[in-house]
Amino acid sequence: MPESIPAPLIIDTLKDTFREARGASAREPLGWILSVPDTHQKTVLAALDKERALRVVTCATEDEANAVGAGLWIGGEPCVLMIQHAGLYASVNTLRGVAMDGRVPMFYMIGLLQREKDRDPKESRHSMVRFAEPLLDTFGVPHARLEGPDDVHRIPEYYRLSRERRGPAAVLVGLETS
Amino acid sequence: MAMKPEDVLRAIAAARGDAICVPTMTTSPAWRTIAPDDLSIGCVGFMGGASSLGLGLALAMPKRRVIVFDGDGSLLMQLGSLATIAGAAPRNLTHLIFKNGVYHTSGAQEIPGGLNVDFVQMAKGAGYRKAYAVTEFDDFKRRLPAILGDEGPVLVELHTGLADKTPMTDRSGVPFHQQVESLRQKVQTAG
Repeated sequence: MPESIPAPLIIDTLKDTFREARGASAREPLGWILSVPDTHQKTVLAALDKERALRVVTCATEDEANAVGAGLWIGGEPCVLMIQHAGLYASVNTLRGVAMDGRVPMFYMIGLLQREKDRDPKESRHSMVRFAEPLLDTFGVPHARLEGPDDVHRIPEYYRLSRERRGPAAVLVGLETS
Repeated sequence: MAMKPEDVLRAIAAARGDAICVPTMTTSPAWRTIAPDDLSIGCVGFMGGASSLGLGLALAMPKRRVIVFDGDGSLLMQLGSLATIAGAAPRNLTHLIFKNGVYHTSGAQEIPGGLNVDFVQMAKGAGYRKAYAVTEFDDFKRRLPAILGDEGPVLVELHTGLADKTPMTDRSGVPFHQQVESLRQKVQTAG
């Protein structure tokens, strides 16, 4: 059964991920969170408001978040995009143009709003939950599920993967964060 | 009489110093000729993204000026970026709108609202530090030091005619991924 992941655990993991990305040059802000606010990850967003080590840029659309992320990458700044599955659907052309064709490493944390606790997302009653993984598969975007606290190691793993393959990689947040 | 975009670009090239420039759509072919192989990156393959790409560059490199050469049709595709930029408030971002009222590349169809769309009011409403229009080239040259030096975000609506070339009539551009890698290496080497 999937479990909710506490916001502090996600934030600490993001900090460690950014520290690793920066290596010896680690400084504040450690990294950037590009957010189109996702209800599913709202406890993380609320906790980020109090964080000084991570800088949040709230974007009006996921298209913008992808392009901002490209500029940060060029300037050597690490970032994570926190979006919702609906935002993934809304921004696939920019994901393609920036992260795939542009070969810009882009790491996404995608909230699966309305994912049922007792069902595999691929069998969800809700199309926005059901189609997320097949869409990522169609675009060849490697992805993993965060089904509970034991899965947070996927965050640095898929962040590194996006850098290694110079393209997109994603984790799907299974249940609403706590 | 509307300004020639090529004249505007030449004036910027002479005054920009080490600023990073982000051309898109019809400014791209002319800029490649005027400022070849320099600190520039064209927004190619995700129309409307120039302003957000410029925002990311400006946030990553706060000591360097970033100048976006946006189009009116392009900006309309991601109009919310005005609010995103104003919210992030990069002091080093200059956002130029080459306003010609049409989608030049696809055959000069009028953009929604045509020349009546007022990007200056939109930028002010979004929260840009400064926003104004320039209609004459002499006035543009006179204001250029402030355009490139004032604390941002600054938006300047430039009333221009059509460029001589478009990305469809001049396809000599470098693929986006090569531009990304080239600019990344240059700015990181420069430190």
